[in-house]
Parts: sequence; structure tokens; C-alpha cells
Amino acid sequence: MEEEKKGILESVGGRTIKTTEASKKVRPFTKKITQDGHQAAAEGRPVAYCFIMSLYDEILRAMDITPIWTENYAAICAVKRQAERFISSAQSDGFPRNLCTYCTIQEGFDLMRYQLGGIPSDAPDGGMPKPTMLLGTGMMICDPRYKSYQIAQRYIDVPVHIHGLLWPPVEADLDEVKDYYVKYAVEELRGLVQFLERQTGKKMDWDRLNATIDLANKTYRVWWDAYQLRKAVPAPMPTEDAMSTMVPGYFWMGTQEAFNFYQDLYNEVKYRVDNKIGVIPDEKYRILWAAGLPPWFALSILNYFEMLGAVFPIEITYHPPPPVEIPAAAKHPLERLAWRFFKQWTYRHEKARKRSGDAMIEWMLELIEDYKIDGVMMHRATTCRTIHAGQIHQLNVLKQYTDLPTLVLESDICDISAFDDAGTRNRIDTFIEVLDTHKKGKQ
Amino acid sequence: MAEQGIAKVETIYQDRGHRARELKAEGKKIIGYYCCHTPVEIITAAGLVPYQISGNVAETITKADGYLETIMCPFCRNSFDLALRGEYDFFEGFVVPHACDNIVKIYDIWKVNIRPPYSHFINVPHTLTPAAHEFYKAELGTFKRSIERFIGGEISPGQLKEAIQLHNEYRALVRDLYGLSKPDPPLILGSERTKVLLAGTRIPVQEANELLRSVIGEVRGRSDRPQKKPARVLIYGSQIDDAPFIEGIEGVGANVVVDDLCIGTRPYWREVEITADPVDGLVTGYLDGIKCARTYRARTGTRKEDLDNRFGHILNFAREFKVNGIILLSINYCDTYEFEAVEVRDYLQEAGFPGIILEVDYTLLSIDWLKTRIQAFLEMVGQPV
Repeated sequence: MEEEKKGILESVGGRTIKTTEASKKVRPFTKKITQDGHQAAAEGRPVAYCFIMSLYDEILRAMDITPIWTENYAAICAVKRQAERFISSAQSDGFPRNLCTYCTIQEGFDLMRYQLGGIPSDAPDGGMPKPTMLLGTGMMICDPRYKSYQIAQRYIDVPVHIHGLLWPPVEADLDEVKDYYVKYAVEELRGLVQFLERQTGKKMDWDRLNATIDLANKTYRVWWDAYQLRKAVPAPMPTEDAMSTMVPGYFWMGTQEAFNFYQDLYNEVKYRVDNKIGVIPDEKYRILWAAGLPPWFALSILNYFEMLGAVFPIEITYHPPPPVEIPAAAKHPLERLAWRFFKQWTYRHEKARKRSGDAMIEWMLELIEDYKIDGVMMHRATTCRTIHAGQIHQLNVLKQYTDLPTLVLESDICDISAFDDAGTRNRIDTFIEVLDTHKKGKQ
Repeated sequence: MAEQGIAKVETIYQDRGHRARELKAEGKKIIGYYCCHTPVEIITAAGLVPYQISGNVAETITKADGYLETIMCPFCRNSFDLALRGEYDFFEGFVVPHACDNIVKIYDIWKVNIRPPYSHFINVPHTLTPAAHEFYKAELGTFKRSIERFIGGEISPGQLKEAIQLHNEYRALVRDLYGLSKPDPPLILGSERTKVLLAGTRIPVQEANELLRSVIGEVRGRSDRPQKKPARVLIYGSQIDDAPFIEGIEGVGANVVVDDLCIGTRPYWREVEITADPVDGLVTGYLDGIKCARTYRARTGTRKEDLDNRFGHILNFAREFKVNGIILLSINYCDTYEFEAVEVRDYLQEAGFPGIILEVDYTLLSIDWLKTRIQAFLEMVGQPV
């Protein structure tokens, strides 16, 4: 039956099939990012290149600065199969192909816009407007977050600001270190606000920032609650939907639109749970997307799993942050942000200290139990050290606590040349067989 | 008479853990550490012996593939492989600074799989703001208290100042060592210098100072100086920390007279000021003093002024050591330097120093593959200065 061995993308069709109505309403959110950017640029309003999870979402919204999320734009290019020309453009200037393709697409795009004196032709979503500032972060998750914007000044000679955000290792005594970690975050955010005030000529309205944080916290909460509903069997919403429903949370946080989106998502998922409406009719296996940014050009591989009776009820990637309690004494909005950041990034530290020593493993084990998981999958993107280096180790540790079958798929976030279609299909087919054997053995 | 000078360097280079094992047998505790951002003065002040972890390009990875992805920094993979094979079994402790994504990852992986009796992670801000200095001072305080718990005693300000003095002396001697490369031909091969620097980070600082003095004295008195080559070059990169990298370049027509590398000028072209509270000196000495791609230097003035601020020291080296060209060795998956190399190449090119970026994967094989390209580059730049 060799003729049936189609390529995986061919076998599931070109487009990713979504389940929830909410996820089908996300595309306007992504289109609006560049639309708003172009409009702001045309009207002379500030436009900033931004990275997600930088803790400045509410600050930008409160100061009417239009963010252009360059990672998101790179992913759009990948989905539209337009990434290669921008990656090649960056390569032509000396940036190796193994660098983060979110960044090489941005650098390559910026180089082309610089050389052409305008947006490259047929750029997805109208291309990225030239920003008036570049806002990176010095964190512990990703070095390209500060390097790529620093380097982007080769093509865009506009002010750049990098603020630092750090969290302690699992073994740290949080009582010993928390004050100076939080203080660092507060002061770095204060430096960011001062920079933005200088660039925009506008003072921060702290009351407005507080209100924006309130709205964001409310949004995080309903987003979190919606995902808690996904524990249900059959799974009401799959990971391929979550790769879309993350968009309002990561790119529109602090807006009423984002809150409304998650409220609708909550209602829809609840309806599906109450009425036992699953992603697929006969759910045989539940798989955890345990780590890894997705291959944006091939999200439909998740539909292929579904054809084999497997569904991804939950994922760690782009999961909403956990609800945390902020100390009552933290009244200033920057303190509220800093404490939220610290508490979220140390959320499982104590648990990890008592068992595995690894907060990420603790999270996986929680999800495995809560979401009734049968197998664990990771995606390894070749150009990103952030999440993808250390996966072997994570699986080694995880196996000390669970005997679930595991699978690692390898490709990239945006570089389709790293994707092995036939090999991916074979790995998935084999994994499903292993899952089946394992599950039967447990019964 | 005890071995000294280049012969001793060669002995340590060939059997890198030998002296550390001797010291361990004498009751000394050896603390392995990654990266020049580790403030070794605190380790020395505690009566411990800091030992910088390196790789060995002659070794093939045999065990690390079961723990580390091939998309990780090959230096980290190589050095961790050595650890898995017991090359670092004399460590009583393990210290890792937050240098880059790869080094951050290796901390947990090493801790879990090698299980050193003591381990500590030092968080290092990427920014150089006043808040970053305050944070880093607090973080070094946490590190100091952690080491004190490990040794069961306190490190006094006097002990810390003494350790800073010793390491300052070492840094000054390294700068003297580089001075031996200013003549044409240089008095010392670049590959010899790399071995000296490797040896110096594997023995107690007092012995390292003695070793460097003996090497400098020996080299100054040399009658058979290295052969003059058509080109004098500067090597730029990150953890290019093994002699074959430099031998490969010197073997095809160049004198490697200076560098901007992690095992090179980068950690040593500075002093740590001895301040009233000695931790203050460490904060500025390490945070501001090490010009590394992992630290963000806020833009100052125009783009040209910003580049001068970030890379002016490399241009000064190029001029001071009268180089003909720059070879930028970019280790695969070293994100910070892979980004930065493009900027450095263009900045130096603009100033009249041609450069070439070459990707290496931390193996002898990759050095062999590059020889033809290096040779072509050297022929292009190898004009009389």
C-alpha cells in the first residue's frame, strides 16, 4: 500500500482545520497588527517593534504606542510560505541560517525594505511598517530578543531600548532574593517608561496604566479558566486552535477586544464541554504538546494526528500564565507588573524543589494528570535555543516520573526547508502504534 | 628543578586535570565554572580553586548526544561530553553565570547528570543600568553567602581584596603576554598563547601568576622567535578556547597576534578596582569591564558612536598590533556572536581592516575544512603593513 503513503501535508490538505468558532475569528486580529501599524505610521504616531512576553503590553497600550510583533509577522510569512526570501535576504548580509528564523525574517525584511526604500512587493499582510523605535528585552529565555533589534539598527536607524527581566533559578531561596529581583524589574520598567516618554513626548498616565493592568489581569483569568475547561473528555478544543487563540493574549493584551475574545472562547468551550462535543468523533489518544514552538507552515500535522484518533487537548506552548496573588503592598502599576512577572516565573519553584528540581517537568506532570494524557510530544525547532535546547534532558527527567510514550518531531518554526514530510509522517504513524500498545497494556 | 615556562604550559595543556587532581589529593577543593563572567575572585577568596571548563576539539562527542541536542552550542556539547566521561570528576563544585541561552541550559543539565556536591547559578543582567548594577551586587552577595555555606565559614573583605589583587596581577601578566606579539614577527605563537591562557585557568591563581612570569621571561629571551608570516591577523569570536583553532590559521600563512575571544583578551583587558566594599569593584569589573556580545550596551549618540562604543576596543587592537585582517570564527548556534559578527566585520572593514566570517562547529574537522578559505583570505590581505 505504498501509494497511500502521501506526504503528510498532502494527506490532510493544505490548510489547518480548526475546531472552535473562536479560533476561526483570530485572523482579523493578526491582520490588524500590521494594518494598525501602517495607519499609525501614516499619521505620524509611534510604532514599536516588539517581542512577546516582554511585560510591556499594558504599558504600550496605556501610552497609545502601536506594537508590531515581529515574531508574529515571521510566523505569518511562514504560514503564507513567504519566509524563504526574507531568510535568504538576511543570509546575504552574513546572518547564518541557524539563527532564529523569527529574527532572520525580520532582519531580512528590514534589509529589503531598506534597499528598496519601501515594502517588498507582495509582502504578507502588507508588510511591516518602518517602526519609530525598537523595544527588546534582556531575559533568560532568548538572547535574540536583545541582539536582533540591536543589529536591526543596520537597516532602521531609530532609537532602541532594551529592558532587563530576570527570575531566579529553582534552587534559589525566594525569600532571600525576591526583593532585589522585583526591584530590578520595577526599575527596568521605569527606565522603559522614561524612554517611551522621551520618544513620544507624552507622560505616562499611571491611572490609565493601572486600569489597563486590571483589564489584562481579568483577561488572563478568563483565558486561564477557558483552558481549564479543556480537561474534559472528549477534548473540546485542540492545540491547533490554541496556536491561534493565543493571538489576542500575546499580541492584544490590555485591550477590551482581547477580553471579549476570551469571554467568547470560554463560553464556547463550556458549551462544548457541557454537551460533550469533542474535537474528533472517536477520541482514542490524548497527547500533550509538551514543548516547542510550532512549525507554523505545517500546523496541519495536528490534523493528521486526529485522522489517527489522537487529539492534543492541551499544550505548554502559548499556555496562558497562571493566576497569581500580588502582595497587597504593591500599589504602583510597575510594582504590580513586576510582582506578577516574578510570581508567574517562580510559580512551580517550590514544587520543583520538592521533587524533580525542574519547574517545567512539574508543569508537564500536572498537565499529564489533569488532562488525562496518554502520550507526550515535543517539537524541536532547529533555529531556536530558547525552548528547544534541553528537550532531551527534559524527557530524560520526565521518564523518571511517568512511563508515557514520547515523540520528538524536528523541523523549524519558519524555515520549511527543515521539514521532512515523509519522515514526520512515519514518526507519527509509529508513535500512534506505540501509544496504542502502551494504552492496551495499561487496560 | 620544577618545570616552568612553556614546557610546564605544555604539560598542563596535555593533561589538563593533572594539577587539579594533585591539589584535590592535597585536600584542596576544585570549583569548575563556565565563562569569564564568573567572578573567580570570590572562589579564590574562599580558599577554593577555580577551574575554567573548556572543550577539547580533538575529542569526538560520544555520550553527550544522549543529553544535548545537536542544535546546542557545540562548545557546550563538547565540554559536557568531557564531563560525562569523567574528565572533570575532580570538581567539588560547579558555578555557572547567566551568560547566554546555551550556558543557562547547561546548568541544570550538568547539575542533574554530573551531580557535583556544590552548584550555584549566578544571574547576570544583560543591561548596564544603575538597577542592573544594584541587582548584580545583590546577586553576588547571594553567591558569596552560598559559597560561605559550602565552606562553612565567612569570606572576609580582606580575603576578597587579596583575591582581587591576585587576579588583577594575573590579568596584568596576560596583557604583558600579549605585548610579546607586537613585534613582527611576534615573539610567541598565537597557539602557544592560547595554551598559556588555558593552563592559567586550570591552576590556582598564585601558580598561574608564577607560570606567566616564567613564560614571559622565557619568551623574551628566545633566540628562535616564530617565523614571520605574510599576514598578521586578529581572531574574533566566543569560546574559541583550544589551540588547534589558532594552529590551523597559523599553519596556512598568518601570525595570530591578538584576539577578542573568551579565552583571550576579553576577560583580561581590565582591572577590578579594589573598593571599600570589594563586591562593588567586582560589580563594575565584571558587568561593565567585560565587553561581550551578551551584554547590551545602550546606544550612545549616533550609529557611528554606538559602534565605536561597542567595538572600538577591537579596532584599537587591530591598530596597536598592526594586523592585516580579521578572522571572525563563529561557533554554530552561538546566537549572540553570530548576530554580532556581521556588525564587527563591517565596522572593521569600514576602518580598513578586511574580515571574513567563518562558521566552525568546534571540531578539528571543521578547522580543516576552513583552511582553504583562510588561505585565500590571507593571500588577499597579506600585504606588508
